[in-house]
Amino acid sequence: MAGYFEEMGWAELEDGQQPNHLLDMARFLIDFGLYEDNFTGEWPRLPPPASKEAVQSLADVTVETDDKSCPICLKKFNIGDKAKEMPCHHQFHAKCILTWLDKTNSCPFCRHELPTDNEGYEAFKKEKKRAEQRKEDIETLHNSMFS
Amino acid sequence: MANIAAKRIKREFKEVMKSEEVAGGTIKLELINDSWTELQGEIVGPPDTPYEGGTFLLEIKVPETYPFNPPKIRFMTKIWHPNVSSVTGAICLDILKDQWAAALTLRTVLLSIQALLSAAEPNDPQDAVVAKQYREDIELFNLTARHWTNAYAGGPTAIWEFNQKVQVLLDMGVEEDQARVALSTFDWELERATEHLFS
Ligand SMILES: [Zn+2]
Ligand SMILES: [Zn+2]
Repeated sequence: MAGYFEEMGWAELEDGQQPNHLLDMARFLIDFGLYEDNFTGEWPRLPPPASKEAVQSLADVTVETDDKSCPICLKKFNIGDKAKEMPCHHQFHAKCILTWLDKTNSCPFCRHELPTDNEGYEAFKKEKKRAEQRKEDIETLHNSMFS
Repeated sequence: MANIAAKRIKREFKEVMKSEEVAGGTIKLELINDSWTELQGEIVGPPDTPYEGGTFLLEIKVPETYPFNPPKIRFMTKIWHPNVSSVTGAICLDILKDQWAAALTLRTVLLSIQALLSAAEPNDPQDAVVAKQYREDIELFNLTARHWTNAYAGGPTAIWEFNQKVQVLLDMGVEEDQARVALSTFDWELERATEHLFS
């Protein structure tokens, strides 16, 4: 066993010594090549349409003010107009937002993303999220080790 | 033209005309035809950039599917910038491509193009030659961009040495734009530019 530790440049824990989990974690990340942010991919084109389910479950609302307009056609809403509301609470004419979501999956105003029916894109999004999480983990780790 | 596109452009046009940028003279928008499919934009070069003091014209074509698809925009005024083709004026800007969103307007797009003049993205170039100069010799890039602003956009700063070199090529019978592109491409080395033009 000692041979293995020596070879790796590590020292066995003394009696009563606690393992340094942060250091182990850092070694693990470096050994497995996760320290570099390998995932720099951008989705090369407009993301796919919103999923049928997400579109069907958009809330129908009645507009309560007359100082807003639909961000797509820019026409002013009147009090009492029917509108569709995205999860980010932005409101649009049904026809306007449905046409847009049939093209791509995000709010045209704030880019809040709805799920899609495109497996490739969903896998891409997951990998991107994982890469971001990893980067965050490494930064947290780095800060806790070197600050 | 589809109804929604024309109606929206009309609403946008009103919005732009009321905007503080138009009032302040930093952007302009003009109609080119009655069907609202073609417009001409104008932006002034941002302060503290080589484009300062220049006025840049943009060709704007509105597709039938607007605002679900982005407007097609290119520089009509020649400009030396990593994200604009020095030959065609084509612009490499994400919101004009895969980052377009239907809530963006001609006003926000013109402001984004103006912002691009303040903050180039040399890693996502439209013109590889310009981007290379930007990365490798920013001082020469700034002088070249300032010279182009003077030559094409009415900018105030003439660069005597560059004008002289352009004149040398003109005297040899080279067309002016070609002379300027060749000299700019070869870092204003007259010999290399000449060799390139006559080979
Ligand atoms: Zn609408
Ligand atoms: Zn939104």
